Amino acid sequence: MKKMISMLLCLAMLLSLIPAAMADGDTYTAYYGSEVSTLNYLVSSTEWDQTVAANIVDTLVEYNNLGEVIPCLAESWENSEDGLTWTFHLRKGVKWYDSFGEEKAELTANDFVAGLKYVLTPEYESAIASNVFTAQIVNAEAYFKGEVTDFNEVGVKAEDDYTLVYTLANPVPYFVSMTTYGSFMPVYGPLAEELGADLGIDNQSIYYSGAYILETFEPQSEHLYVKNQNYWDAEHVYIEKINRLYNAESATLSPIAALRGEVDGADLDNDILDDWRENHADLITVGRSNLQYSYFYCFDFDPQYEEEYDPQNWLIAVNNSNFRHSIMSALDRLYGMGAETENPETLVENTVTPPAFSTVNGKDFTTLPAFDNIENYFYNPEKALEYKAKAVEELTAAGATLPVKVVLTYKSNDSDWANEVQLEKSQLESVLGTDYIDVILYAGPADNFLAQTRRAGKYSLQKCNWGADYADPETWTDPFYENLNSETGLHDGNSYNKMDKMLDTDFEETKAFLNAYYAKVAEAKAETADIENRYNLFAEAEAMLIENAMVIPFRKSIAGYQVTKLDVYEGEYAPFGICNLRFKFQHLNDDFVTAQQNAESYQAWADAMNK
Amino acid sequence: MLKYLLKRFARSILTLFFILTIVFVLVRQMPIEGYFPNFEKMTQSQIENGLHQMGLDQPMVVQLIEFYKGLFHGDLGVSRVYNRGKPVWDILKTKLPLSIQLGSLSIVFSMIVGLPMGILMAKRKGKLPDHIGTAFIVLIQAVPAAVYYLFIQLYGTELMQIKLRFDPADFRSWILPVLSLSLGNIAYYAMWIRRYMVDESTKDYIMLARIKGCSEGRIMFRHIFRNAFVPMAQYLPTSFLNTVVGSIYIESLWSIKGMGGLLVDVIHKQDNNMILGIVLLFACVGILGLMLGDLLMVLFDPRISFSKKGGD
Amino acid sequence: MRHPKIEQLEDHVSEALKQDLGIEKLFSVAPFDEEEVERTGDSDYSYWRSTFRAFRHNWIAMALLVLLVVILLFTFVQPYLPGQFDPNTITNGENGLPLKNQKADSVHWLGTNSIGQDLWSRVWAGTRNSLIIGISVALIEAGVGILMGVLWGYVRQLDFLFTELYNIIDNIPTTIVLILVSFLMRPGMGTIIFAMSITGWIGMARFVRNQVLIIRDRDYNVASRTLGTSTWRIMFRNLLPYLVSVIMLRMALSIPGAIGSEVFITYIGLGLPIEVCSLGNLINEGRKLMMSPNLRYQLIYPTIILSVVTVSFYIIGNAFSDAADPRNHL
Repeated sequence: MKKMISMLLCLAMLLSLIPAAMADGDTYTAYYGSEVSTLNYLVSSTEWDQTVAANIVDTLVEYNNLGEVIPCLAESWENSEDGLTWTFHLRKGVKWYDSFGEEKAELTANDFVAGLKYVLTPEYESAIASNVFTAQIVNAEAYFKGEVTDFNEVGVKAEDDYTLVYTLANPVPYFVSMTTYGSFMPVYGPLAEELGADLGIDNQSIYYSGAYILETFEPQSEHLYVKNQNYWDAEHVYIEKINRLYNAESATLSPIAALRGEVDGADLDNDILDDWRENHADLITVGRSNLQYSYFYCFDFDPQYEEEYDPQNWLIAVNNSNFRHSIMSALDRLYGMGAETENPETLVENTVTPPAFSTVNGKDFTTLPAFDNIENYFYNPEKALEYKAKAVEELTAAGATLPVKVVLTYKSNDSDWANEVQLEKSQLESVLGTDYIDVILYAGPADNFLAQTRRAGKYSLQKCNWGADYADPETWTDPFYENLNSETGLHDGNSYNKMDKMLDTDFEETKAFLNAYYAKVAEAKAETADIENRYNLFAEAEAMLIENAMVIPFRKSIAGYQVTKLDVYEGEYAPFGICNLRFKFQHLNDDFVTAQQNAESYQAWADAMNK
Repeated sequence: MLKYLLKRFARSILTLFFILTIVFVLVRQMPIEGYFPNFEKMTQSQIENGLHQMGLDQPMVVQLIEFYKGLFHGDLGVSRVYNRGKPVWDILKTKLPLSIQLGSLSIVFSMIVGLPMGILMAKRKGKLPDHIGTAFIVLIQAVPAAVYYLFIQLYGTELMQIKLRFDPADFRSWILPVLSLSLGNIAYYAMWIRRYMVDESTKDYIMLARIKGCSEGRIMFRHIFRNAFVPMAQYLPTSFLNTVVGSIYIESLWSIKGMGGLLVDVIHKQDNNMILGIVLLFACVGILGLMLGDLLMVLFDPRISFSKKGGD
Repeated sequence: MRHPKIEQLEDHVSEALKQDLGIEKLFSVAPFDEEEVERTGDSDYSYWRSTFRAFRHNWIAMALLVLLVVILLFTFVQPYLPGQFDPNTITNGENGLPLKNQKADSVHWLGTNSIGQDLWSRVWAGTRNSLIIGISVALIEAGVGILMGVLWGYVRQLDFLFTELYNIIDNIPTTIVLILVSFLMRPGMGTIIFAMSITGWIGMARFVRNQVLIIRDRDYNVASRTLGTSTWRIMFRNLLPYLVSVIMLRMALSIPGAIGSEVFITYIGLGLPIEVCSLGNLINEGRKLMMSPNLRYQLIYPTIILSVVTVSFYIIGNAFSDAADPRNHL
């Protein structure tokens, strides 16, 4: 009997040792909370799908951790005099592998042509085809629409196996950055041809040319990436294996799994942060803010919500510059942001374009002269009351009723956002008084939120966001473009704040501003030769938007808190594209990065960035 | 009886047709934005092309006919968002077995524990076992499932020294999910069997049996339990068949690759073929469950009949 | 062998028969009494009075009923007590920032939540709203469900129609219906009650139908039918009282059920607007804090109230269904 018990005990001990033995020093293990839709990087637009793509297939160029473009599949590239032809000289000897790591073929310029052809084939419904149109590739949209049927007429050619030439309809100074997106990635032509729409259904129906091979792909269970030992840049790939395990409740469970040693990284939600501060303060690290997104508040110029909230009254109010300024000066952005993050000071931004997004001659876009006085337009309660006094007078004269009902929207299943609007309502009303504004919190549905709120005009004030489509300040003017319907000669309204609709009304003040603004944007777009001048013009246009309180810049992407064994500042840092998502260049530490190490590497990185 | 069953079977086909048609029409009322995760950045030509590829630009009747044509050939179509390009049935096929296994285990376990518990409670009504049982039922009812599921997982795995995620190959990792899933059912079975048995035990025929001198055990099982089980029997096939639906909480917490929450998920993603495939599956299960339940009730209680004899 | 009692009886009968049986001997003239004329043959038994009498004997249930009523009343009185906060007012600290996750003190009796709102007043406002929702949903479900269920179970001609209807409604995913409704309706109390009742009644109907099927063809109903009692009378006088006990139990359980399912409805976007708090929302927010011992109080308080409410309804429901069973009245 004793023997039995001791044997059982031994067995139990052995079993309990299994998890410990599995914690492999070279494997990075982490949960993921939502499954990929497809491995086909040529069609998918979601970030998680692209995370897989970024690690298994390479792009023409990539970025280093300071946000500078470095060669990848292309060793060098050049632009023609007229800016219409881009030629890329490809690296030789890069191979395609299958999921078993077997070499299949050499990667050539033809594979980029095949990739673009796949993206532009309507049957495959690529969600990212529009990116190719934006890049101004000759005949791209015409081929997609079926107006051109011969793909040879599209502006992409493989001159030989190692020379790839793109032809553009108009000069695109930022073209190189665009090649780091899924729509410009290569695919092994014969495979794409053979599989058609079935490309990328599972890990065996796709070939690999990147740092990792997806050895195991079990949806809703596990992704196992194994380093490709034959990768051309294998010396910069430091993590041997990446094991992603599915858990739909990963937000709740992965911090606990990290403490138990089951995973090597986890995001820490705001809710549990206080507790971690108390018990594991030294393990809390801050992630790196993503450059690609920006959040800003929009005033709606085409209110379509219910009569009880008096949309007509809002229309009069929003066309009054003093009214908009009173809100902008009354809004304490840090206060509301407190619902989402603990360090709002580091995230707040005074421009729509995020800082560090683009630089010209060593100067960051957001520090250009046009933005010199921009701080003066933000939170200032005294000024807000001055604006209020003026606005009350003007609005009463214009026949508006006070208080003005301000419909502030949020997404019903987003508790941080719900908290934020509550804070903002309380803050705005306390500064401006409920005799002036009546903030109404308006819940939008969890599904099709934007279609039911912003695009439907069911808001007066809403936090909006935009993501870059290429690394150039022009991308941040896209939400406010002039949407002129050529058939009716009227404006259909840009999808964000529909301000261009005012050009068809008699709100003269707004019209005068819009005419000046659109003229400035057009001037900036036309400038493709002198980049510094181009950037200055875009900066002036953006400053106009802010100085007229058409939009209230809010914050960058939230760099969340996490516990991790990776040094986040080693990874690629890209203003656009999928390079951010790569594990290449990153080391896996034996232990969790401490708060101090994290702060040090941030400092070192920030110093290097500023040089 | 056979005639009755045949008739009901024929009717079921009609019901299925109604269900599928209604759901087909309903999902097409969703805004088109939901079909495109990248809607914001798409051009008009892309959206038009997308709708064309999905066939959504055709009149509803044509779409419906196409759908039934495919269905008639056993083709449910392919998923569009959930697992792009994969046939719907292939996706369901891999998910069904785990949910069914887990659910059936839980039902069997709940009955093994819940029924005796309810019987004991009814037998010792107002005494200690009844009070303990009631306390358990009340506790399970009172604490939200979402809370105690998480509790069991966190502390259970720590106690058993196993991983947080479920591993079908490891016998130990089945215990906690099955237990979590069963607690609610145990309380449910115990509560209803106690209720029915208490109701039944005051009836005249029980008094007669007692006067006749039947043993208490015989009364309990031959008379009271059998009668009390009739209303429960109605739900039995449905509960077994319903295991295909899976449990959203348990399966997400433990990363079980089952059906739990799948329908809700694909509805949010507006994956129309997946929605219709799952609705078809669940509808078959639901209709079959109702039919078997009625049948079982007739078997258990000869007083009930569905064939038309007499009555109004 | 003859039984002595039978022998005795025979003796009595034969003795009686020996007597002279004149009319006067057997009957006597009763005096006319005005009051006796008015008296009916019924006893003074009243179903509901007996039910309540039986219920009153269960002191635990009575205590809980009183507790529930007190809670319900208190939720309405609470805002008028001194030192109360509005559940949506955000309290700022000295630094001008919201007083986040404040521990309980003399100002905030249960502390504050993650944006500085008073938890005490939120818990009570939430309890009030949740109880209103739960009771409304239970009443609507019961009203519609019982009517439909009895018709479905009793009237054979309707069985076809109802079974089809049930199969169809039961198999159309509620989520689709709710999402579509969320595009049409604005969040609010009315909306959430509508959203929960729109499909909820069918479950109750099926439950009642099954109960009715079981007792429909029992002898007393057959007898009643033979005597020409109308269908409506049989349904409401013969069947329903028999079912009161199980229906009450189910209803008592559906109130906490409705409170719980509100979280899911909120997720779809049909839930209560953020300014109307509810137990479901409070618990859902608190669930994320379960692993943080310092903040767990934000989960515990609403859970306690929910548990008390649930337990009370369960025990009261059980006690009432015991009391409602006529066989327990003697």
